[in-house]
Amino acid sequence: MSILEYNGAAMIAMAGKNCVGIASDRRLGMQAQTVSCNFQKVFPMGDKLHVGLAGLASDVQTVHQLLEYRLNLYELNEEREMSPQVFSTLLSNVLYSKRFSPYFIEPIVAGLDKDNKPFLSGSDLIGATVIADDFVVAGTCTGNLHGMCETLYKPDMGPDQLFETLAQSLLAATDRDALSGWGGIVHIITAEGIVTRELKGRMD
Amino acid sequence: MEFHRETRPVPQLPFITSSEGVVYNDSIDHGVTEAPYEHRFSPYDFNGGTTIAISGKDFAIVAADTRLSSGYEILSRNVSKLHEVTTKCVLGSAGCKTDVDQLRSVLDIQGKVYQHNHRKQMATPSVAQMLSNTLYQRRLFPYYAFNVLGGLDQHGKGAVYSYDAIGSFERSSYSATGSGQAYMIPLLDNVIGHRNRMDIEAELGAEEIVEIVKDAFVTAGERDIYTGDSVEIKIITK
Repeated sequence: MSILEYNGAAMIAMAGKNCVGIASDRRLGMQAQTVSCNFQKVFPMGDKLHVGLAGLASDVQTVHQLLEYRLNLYELNEEREMSPQVFSTLLSNVLYSKRFSPYFIEPIVAGLDKDNKPFLSGSDLIGATVIADDFVVAGTCTGNLHGMCETLYKPDMGPDQLFETLAQSLLAATDRDALSGWGGIVHIITAEGIVTRELKGRMD
Repeated sequence: MEFHRETRPVPQLPFITSSEGVVYNDSIDHGVTEAPYEHRFSPYDFNGGTTIAISGKDFAIVAADTRLSSGYEILSRNVSKLHEVTTKCVLGSAGCKTDVDQLRSVLDIQGKVYQHNHRKQMATPSVAQMLSNTLYQRRLFPYYAFNVLGGLDQHGKGAVYSYDAIGSFERSSYSATGSGQAYMIPLLDNVIGHRNRMDIEAELGAEEIVEIVKDAFVTAGERDIYTGDSVEIKIITK
């Protein structure tokens, strides 16, 4: 049993035309037992940036607090907003600094840079980052998620179509994974703002 | 006093999983101070691949990729994973090629015997049961074969049966097995099973399902290293 599979998670971040979306499931479990059905795994870091953290729940919350602290400190010192690229690098450095006693998380970053161009990245637990222009996935059912996203993804989707694609991909993938599911939440980030929708799915 | 330490297989990774959890091993111990290594011969090899079967009202579609691999090497780009058991039924198998070949031989012989005794071909549900029994006979040294059977039953309706390695089987409307099954099954749930969808369910014809199968293999081919090269699709109709 891997420690990254103790609590269970599923998340996707996907790019559209001048918009990004990030979706996650809501389950928190302790191996077979489900403990919560509204556990937050995607956190806003500013108004055009979200970070999704899959993995051990304790580290999800700790790293979120750590990133918020580092982001706030940056913005106080630099007197400007942190761009998604810089945030992704910050995250990578934070994780690598714990190379030999890692945080057990698989983060994904989704945001719009100052020109409202989509930015997506994902990394492993020790900070190896991959920047994608289509989608990134993380969690206990990455095979299922990759399969769904690879098939349903089209470039340059509008915000509504992006939402449908994210929702269908997440629901279909989590329905075949015992450790993730119990609902879903999807955030679509555009230049105008963020629209958040909750998904009604199988609660098992 | 005899001192017996539990042996472990040769560690492949830089860390060992023990009762304490994951322990980092950054030096080669050669089985001296820590638990002894045991070099074991494994009778199985995984030769990769993915197979899929989907049933319709009066047809069935069975498809598989044609890559044969061992470890990181590709042994062939053009080996069939599909086998016609009867004129109404096709078996798709992924896993260990030698076990798959032997299993097919055994099924062929059993099919011939049936045909000699009953003067007709075996019906698909009977083939399904026979395959299950054949697999279970090797319960303690299994055929490393992941099977999916697709065909027409005696009433002319499409039938798909999926198996595990030791013969547990179930009839369903679609199935995928092999290294790329995780990539395909949620897609089939959504498109064929119509799950999590609020639009009206349309009955899909054979041509539409073939397009879905092609999409599924493109997806699995992109993300799974053992799936690729080309896809063989068999459509079983009256």
